Amino acid sequence: MVPSMSLILTNRVGQPESYTLQVFEKTGGYQSVKKLFSLQPNQVIDEVKNSGLRGRGGAGFSAGLKWSFVPQDTGKPVYLCVNADESEPGTFKDRLLLEDDPHQLIEGIIIACYAIRSHTAYIYIRGEFDLPCQRIRSAVAEAYAKGYLGKNIFKSGYDLDVTIHRGAGAYICGEETALLESLEGKKGQPRIKPPFPAVVGLFGSPTVINNVETLSALPFIINHGAAAYRRFGTEKSPGTKLFSVSGHVNKPGVLEKPLGYPLKDLIEKDCGGVLGGKRLKAVVPGGSSVPVLNAQDVETVKLDYESLMQHGSMLGSGGVIVLHEGVDMLWALRNLSRFYAHESCGQCTPCREGSGWVDKILVRFLREGGTSADIELLKDISNNMMGKTICVLADALAMPVLSYLKKFPEDFAAHFRGKTAQAQMHVL
Amino acid sequence: MTMEFSPENKKKLAEILSRYPTKQAALLPTLWLAQGEFGFISQETMEYVAGLLDISPAHVYGVVTFYTMFHRKPPGKYNLQVCRTLSCALRGSESLLDHLKKKLGIGENETTPDGKFSLCTVECLASCGTAPAMMVNQKYFENLDASKVDEILNGLK
Amino acid sequence: MIMTDITLTIDGKQVAVPKGTSILQAAITAGITIPHYCWHPGLKAVGNCRMCLVQVEKWPKPVASCVQPVSEGMVVKTSTDEITKIRKSVMEFLLINHPLDCPTCDQAGECRLQDYYMNYDEVPSRFAEEKVSKNKMIDLGANVMLDQERCIACTRCIRVCQEVAGVDELTLANRGDHTMITTFPGKKLSNPYAGNTIDVCPVGALTNKDFRFKKRVWFLERTPSVCPGCSRGCNIEIHHEELKVYRLLPRYNPEVNNYWICDEGRYGYKFINEDRILRPRILEKNISHLVSSDEAVDRLAGLMKGGALDEIGVVANAQETNETLQALADFAKTVLKTRHLYFSRREVENPVSDNFLMTADKNPNQAFVDKLGFRPLSTLKEVRGLLVLNSLSPADMKKVIEKKVPILGIWASNENPAAHSSAVVFPIPTYAEQEGHFTNVRGLTQKITAAYPPRGEARLVSETLEELTERLQTNARSYTQNSYPLSPHL
Repeated sequence: MVPSMSLILTNRVGQPESYTLQVFEKTGGYQSVKKLFSLQPNQVIDEVKNSGLRGRGGAGFSAGLKWSFVPQDTGKPVYLCVNADESEPGTFKDRLLLEDDPHQLIEGIIIACYAIRSHTAYIYIRGEFDLPCQRIRSAVAEAYAKGYLGKNIFKSGYDLDVTIHRGAGAYICGEETALLESLEGKKGQPRIKPPFPAVVGLFGSPTVINNVETLSALPFIINHGAAAYRRFGTEKSPGTKLFSVSGHVNKPGVLEKPLGYPLKDLIEKDCGGVLGGKRLKAVVPGGSSVPVLNAQDVETVKLDYESLMQHGSMLGSGGVIVLHEGVDMLWALRNLSRFYAHESCGQCTPCREGSGWVDKILVRFLREGGTSADIELLKDISNNMMGKTICVLADALAMPVLSYLKKFPEDFAAHFRGKTAQAQMHVL
Repeated sequence: MTMEFSPENKKKLAEILSRYPTKQAALLPTLWLAQGEFGFISQETMEYVAGLLDISPAHVYGVVTFYTMFHRKPPGKYNLQVCRTLSCALRGSESLLDHLKKKLGIGENETTPDGKFSLCTVECLASCGTAPAMMVNQKYFENLDASKVDEILNGLK
Repeated sequence: MIMTDITLTIDGKQVAVPKGTSILQAAITAGITIPHYCWHPGLKAVGNCRMCLVQVEKWPKPVASCVQPVSEGMVVKTSTDEITKIRKSVMEFLLINHPLDCPTCDQAGECRLQDYYMNYDEVPSRFAEEKVSKNKMIDLGANVMLDQERCIACTRCIRVCQEVAGVDELTLANRGDHTMITTFPGKKLSNPYAGNTIDVCPVGALTNKDFRFKKRVWFLERTPSVCPGCSRGCNIEIHHEELKVYRLLPRYNPEVNNYWICDEGRYGYKFINEDRILRPRILEKNISHLVSSDEAVDRLAGLMKGGALDEIGVVANAQETNETLQALADFAKTVLKTRHLYFSRREVENPVSDNFLMTADKNPNQAFVDKLGFRPLSTLKEVRGLLVLNSLSPADMKKVIEKKVPILGIWASNENPAAHSSAVVFPIPTYAEQEGHFTNVRGLTQKITAAYPPRGEARLVSETLEELTERLQTNARSYTQNSYPLSPHL
């Protein structure tokens, strides 16, 4: 039985007191649990595998497959870590789910834990998220009070503890192994892989790290089955995805769309078009780390893993940043280089040194003008950073640099020395 | 006087510790408790927390300096944290920051002489759809412009 | 035999190594050098410097060879154009914020940045920006000086403290290119192995306050030896030029000390350079006279002949080599035929010991002393005089004074109270100036070698004992022991 609703994740968003247990249960919340406990954990994994649900944090790895890597014979506890460290610039969809539908997330946590045979889950939530943290805290408290969490949940014989763990200001903790380090009371410095967290994760135990949005999709999949989930989206990118739209659009916000939805429609139809009736210049489609698209790309690209890849970019976190014709792409790139230089954990040489270097070159370029040699240098530094480090933060800076240079060379040329008048164009 | 948590926070700490298999894992939550109670994380606080969790002060120092939200000096009563990342910048966070600097007569990472306001920039707050945004202490203020900011400042006593 | 169960190919060479070996270690086995900074054979691998990246056939990205375990059939390439470019780029990244102050840097000559620069960089700098400035002179205590600008954040020093000394005293503060090594603000390094942080630092970030600005390292000769600081017998290298020792460094020995030494041993070399007894001398009417070696031997032989030889006691010392101790024992048994075989040793107040390297016995050779049957000087019986090796501990000295036993002769490298009251003094080389062996606390006999010839007129104990033997067997002039009262130093 597939409900007539067109949405999977955001049905309760905007409803009064949607974050309370009462409203949640009135609107079909915790319905999947009964079915859940009638299934074997492996059946749950299979169902999720069949649904084609891919991790919504950015990497897009099959959720069910990730679960199946967890060994069950280590004699150690298995952990679930909920990645609620949403920090990718341009992304604010997990915040919405935490604020407006925290019980849906808890229901998803119950499903995931049961599937991987975990009795302990940690929700790692970014330190700045005060309201989302309050909401999830009270939701967890409500669930404990009702016997939905704790010992013998839903009288199923299954025990599950959920602990909320606040971050303290570090983008890198969204990287799953950095998140584990941070949870263990250390600096958030990504770990060498292998071993992968599924085998050696939190406190040395098998661990699954799932994004808030990924987990929030689980109640639907268990309630209605994998096939129902697959009715949304495309063959290779099934389901819906939350798109955080920001920047130069008339109506920014979070939108749930089936994967494969045209980016142009998202901007024009759903978000009221480009701000001030200006011409579209560029779109960052998947959070600040992914390669940028130009207006021509936007005409044809669809919002799914494959189409974005074909256009040289990535779905990433679904953070869609729209830039209109008034934006100087050098200025925009420098804004991001400052971010990555600030957020580099400092562990790997190419990232630690390269991110700051790129940022300094771009600052000089903006202030004093640059040369074509600087352009070549920026490309070379980016290539030297990309794929050379423990995690992909270096790539997350290198990819924007290379793509901005490639797609908007005129914006950089405008800052060549001797052209300082134009360099003032800046933004807006 | 030696530093010590209030009885209430001691209870909270015990509850926190019960949630993790290692004491060290409680470091971030404990630092949050400490910042809540003492206002900032002094060296003395770091040593106190290190003692509570059986970890080295050096480790605590490394952690405190890694994360941006732990204050090593007391901030003003109202800590204005303006998001500077792309989505907010596209919607005018730079001029918002300039406005705040002029209005408060302080620069970034400075506090007004009366200790009431501190001003700094922060990276993306996940408030991009409601840009520009700033965080005052722990609270988000969104869809800002100069007049809205003035209103907010007037409301902060 | 080592179980070898993984076979792989590195740069066309087949290598078989145990499971769990890293590519980097497998390469070492195959005689292939992969450059690296953060990896150290004695420490946990962390893979952060990225200098050791290699390509593995069919793998999409280069991998850090120090942390990547080998797998069967793996085909590794360490010297492709791509890898060379990566190494060049890592060098460039490491140097953009580096102060390039080699002329005033004590690491010059043994700096990995300098070494690899010749192999992988050697291009003009492309860095036109301002470098990150940090603190260039921080006294971390324990003779360790930190220059944060030279640091490449490899974390070897942090790991040495954690893994070797077992304390967590250093950390990286901040992040990005503002990352810096530091102790907790205001705290000093307090572990007794802190000096190892200097050794493992691949660049000039951590330098030795005791050594810095004293000598360019390329002027130093290196001589393998064994630390005489305690009974562990840590293997060391003596670094010296002409007749002066500048520093001691640990020498790898997996049986004894791995890659490490304690600070007590590291800085325990000063006596080699200072306060040396360089010429033979005799005490005459409480006045010390420098004499020739021949005269000194004559004088001592004369003194000894003033009475029965078997009433003379000998005092060995646990500071001396097996060879010296054996020579003394032989002399005592076959020439003196005395039963009075004693020993003294270096005693310190509150000796520090741990369950790692440091032992409470601050002598390198107690085991051999015991083996030869020397007894503690506290058991001293009636003798008419003593022949002493090296020195006497304060307690032993007290005993000798109480018993009013004159010291007829002493063989010593350094000034000490026993030497001051001895009728005849023979200069001998320190352990740094002689070949020989020490037998450590676990019975392991290890070789020491001479860094340079004995200083001054110092001669081996065995040589003067031979001459003494000759003299005792001829009709040389004899002295009565009363002619030589104890010196006022007592």
